[in-house]
Amino acid sequence: MATQHEAETVRRPALSEYLRWSVDHKIIGVQYGVAAFLFFMVGGAMAMGIRLELWTPTLDLMASGSAYNSLFTMHGTVMIFLFIIPMWAAFGNFVVPLQLGAKDMAFPWLNAFAFWLIPPAAIVILLGYFVTPAEAGWTSYPPLSTLFSGDGQTLWALGAHLLGISSIMGSINFIVTILNMRPPQMIIWTMPLLCWAVLATSIIAVMATPFLAGALTLLLLDRVAGTTFFDASGGGDVLLWQNIFWFYSHPAVYIMVLPGMGVLSEVLSIHCRKPVFGYRMVGLSSMGIAFVGFTVWAHHMFTSLQPELRIPFMITTMIIAVPTGIKMFSWLGTIWGGKMRFTSALLFALGFMSMFVIGGITGVMLAALPFDIHVHDTYFVVSHFHFVLFGGSVFAIYAALYHWFPKVTGRMMNERLGRIHFVFTYFGFLFTFFPMHIVGMLGMPRRVAVYDPNFTDWNQFISFWAFVLGFSTFIVVYNVIHSYFRGPVAGANPWRALTLEWATTSPPPVTNFDDDPIPFEDPYGYGTEASAAYLDAVDAAFSGGRPTPDGNQAD
Amino acid sequence: MENNRSNIPSISPAAVVVAAVFLLVSVIGINWFTTFVPEVLPAQASAESKSVDELFYILVIIGGLVFFLIQGMLLISVIFFRVRDDDRSDGPTYHGNPLLEVVWTIIPALVVVYLAVISFNVWNQNSEPKAAVNMINGEETVIRVTGARYAWTHNYETSRLNPEGEPIVINSGDKLHTYIGQNVDLELRAQDVIHSYWVPAMRVKQDLLPGNPDTGGRPTEIRFTPARVEGVEYPAEYPIVCAELCGDGHGRMRGTVIVYEDEAQFLEQFYEPAIHAILNPPADPVLRGEIVIQEYICNSCHTLDSLGWSSRTGPSMNGIADRAGERVAGQSAEEYIATSVWNAQAFVVPGYTEQMAVFGPDQSDANKMSAEQLYAIVAYLCTQGEQSDCDNENSTVAIPEAIKTAFGLDVDITFGQGDSEAESAASETSEEAGESE
Repeated sequence: MATQHEAETVRRPALSEYLRWSVDHKIIGVQYGVAAFLFFMVGGAMAMGIRLELWTPTLDLMASGSAYNSLFTMHGTVMIFLFIIPMWAAFGNFVVPLQLGAKDMAFPWLNAFAFWLIPPAAIVILLGYFVTPAEAGWTSYPPLSTLFSGDGQTLWALGAHLLGISSIMGSINFIVTILNMRPPQMIIWTMPLLCWAVLATSIIAVMATPFLAGALTLLLLDRVAGTTFFDASGGGDVLLWQNIFWFYSHPAVYIMVLPGMGVLSEVLSIHCRKPVFGYRMVGLSSMGIAFVGFTVWAHHMFTSLQPELRIPFMITTMIIAVPTGIKMFSWLGTIWGGKMRFTSALLFALGFMSMFVIGGITGVMLAALPFDIHVHDTYFVVSHFHFVLFGGSVFAIYAALYHWFPKVTGRMMNERLGRIHFVFTYFGFLFTFFPMHIVGMLGMPRRVAVYDPNFTDWNQFISFWAFVLGFSTFIVVYNVIHSYFRGPVAGANPWRALTLEWATTSPPPVTNFDDDPIPFEDPYGYGTEASAAYLDAVDAAFSGGRPTPDGNQAD
Repeated sequence: MENNRSNIPSISPAAVVVAAVFLLVSVIGINWFTTFVPEVLPAQASAESKSVDELFYILVIIGGLVFFLIQGMLLISVIFFRVRDDDRSDGPTYHGNPLLEVVWTIIPALVVVYLAVISFNVWNQNSEPKAAVNMINGEETVIRVTGARYAWTHNYETSRLNPEGEPIVINSGDKLHTYIGQNVDLELRAQDVIHSYWVPAMRVKQDLLPGNPDTGGRPTEIRFTPARVEGVEYPAEYPIVCAELCGDGHGRMRGTVIVYEDEAQFLEQFYEPAIHAILNPPADPVLRGEIVIQEYICNSCHTLDSLGWSSRTGPSMNGIADRAGERVAGQSAEEYIATSVWNAQAFVVPGYTEQMAVFGPDQSDANKMSAEQLYAIVAYLCTQGEQSDCDNENSTVAIPEAIKTAFGLDVDITFGQGDSEAESAASETSEEAGESE
């Protein structure tokens, strides 16, 4: 069997290599990805606990309101700091140097160091859960997080500090890599859009994360050194934290979403066999979002900010809808008239568009100050940011997983399981989070274990679908493990994609490319004879033919 | 040259039909959803709620158009541009259309400008300070709201004077009493952490920010004007909800807005009876205690069936009089209860944490307590039990020195018939005791 023979010629790293210090960006990428997915499971289990508690309007599962508070605090912290942000570092690490035709990241050792900060940070944060846990939410507003919280809050801040350092180091690495390590034929306007998105993301992370570090330092000083930065009775100001924290944490939303948008541009173009519509505007809108994203932070403070400062932030917040809309319409233009192949990667990319648009619409609604005043800090907001971060980021993460898994492991994922996974995830997600808009508007605040019994039916509906959504995760876990060992051999370029990561074996050799690879003139130039010739040449170079994109039929 | 516009597939008649159907669906869908709007919002119980809901209505229409446009285009794409998995051909090489890109940049920009303008107008109209706020009997009143973990306290600083010539303060606990058309303007202060005062039916919300108590805290303001809701019987009640995470009991931190039909009903059912009760306190310390204890936020943490309290953050008060005498060796039930009300940290019940604040004349806002009030509370709690250990008849209780110092008492509290002695002792030494006279 030809495919068997090919499998033997492409060596996969031994599993033990993933457990060791390695400066190979591909190993580090997988380390990031597996670690982040484990934290996704941990955070997801916490979400199941939250939904179980909310099955009834009284406290029953949890011993106290504090236990519930610490549960959603850890859920938010784990999902944001230990899942989504590291998960994008995973795909960025694995894919970006390959797309640039580079042999590794610019600073391999720094890259490894940034990853290895995550396990100790995670241990510190999760251990905090077992000593008087943090219970002030992932936003940790003082004075609740300073004068009224236990030692777990200190550990939370220390762990978040480490993760911030990791994020800054990783981002500097991406910026230097993307700006300096492109092949001579690739100008910035022929760079794959994932690289654009990672570049924009990294610029945000380098500029914003120091503010998180500053805020956490002040918080730690208040907690352990007796300072009063956030204590009014000592001359401090509780809003100081909110300003510094959101100056980081709003741009952090784009840190979590922009790479997903880069993934969308890749996946839609490749699986619809059509160039990205309006490439320059898609790339520039990433930069536009990054820039405007720094001017909107105080919309998180609409109910605490001085009233006269609220209007300017309403206006900047609304403006950010424009570059986001450009992306959405450009993607529609990309798939319009294309030749869509319903791979799992494409399904999740379409799912992203379908769900993220709801998060975008509610984002504009929330920007409208008078309406926000009503729904601020309610389930409407919970719903909104899950549409952005789950309907957006997580759907894009799944799309990226199905798209690049063949490159990472050399094996195709099971497409039938992928479709089942998509159906469960799409409907589980939609029916979990859409009704939250309504309970929020009706009067249910967020972060409560005890709620108005009038909302019981809504909450039971939400919880039921949340359990369906939780179940869907096991399908992809099974698919990944099964496909890693049993999946059909992928070949170098199963999707017939033009970007450079597909112009090498799957998985790529340690140095990525045997020679300096020459990128095709247009990363998304599908449909021309030149591109077909280029793809045929890639296939020929890596021999053995290739299995069909639907991995099930390959053997 | 294949790279030109003509390469995009011409849209088939079927696609036009689907587009038309989808347009129809979206119009019907948006129309249906807008009729659904009142169902997903609480009652419109304030003037502000009407303009906010109108804004929401516009947001739903515009958002609905965007929603159906995007989902419709996705659905059409999925139906018409799907190919079999073994179709290896590529789509048209179509790189974009600058005119289209300009259009879909400019139109959303104009839409958000429009939304910003109408939002600004609604905001201006709703947040503008009003003349003649909190009018009661033709005079403006200051209504102070304190948020403390985990309860609201409303204090009306009225223009009526007590016999000492001081303005009477009505403490209505977690209830805000108002009437249709009253321009409510509340002064909000947080005592410990940040809270957020949200009245969903009024569509208003404002955070309470902890400030420096020495400089009067950091007051914030919230304004609304209750409006008539058709088909509602007055007085009507609407929940007050804490919307900012404040700790263990955050979900329970609720209150009630009671809206009376007009000022006359407000005066008759709330204001005058409250003034009367303050000017004529019951002689029986137990009855006084029952009133006083409800002015404090004890219900936010404790259970006490006889007053309908059900919170579980602190120990239950049911049957406290039976247990209090056995809790600490050498302390009577009265001593134990008095000490625990003043400074709960003195004897923390096993299984509970040190969360309760200190109460006393030297404390601020919701924690201010006179010796007179402490005495009434102890007398009331001493009745909570089957076989009370308290001796409410003619007993003199040796009050610990620390409490005497804190409350400015110089004699012990005497219960039962002899309570006038304690009263006079308290009134001599405490500035706050005047209201009992």
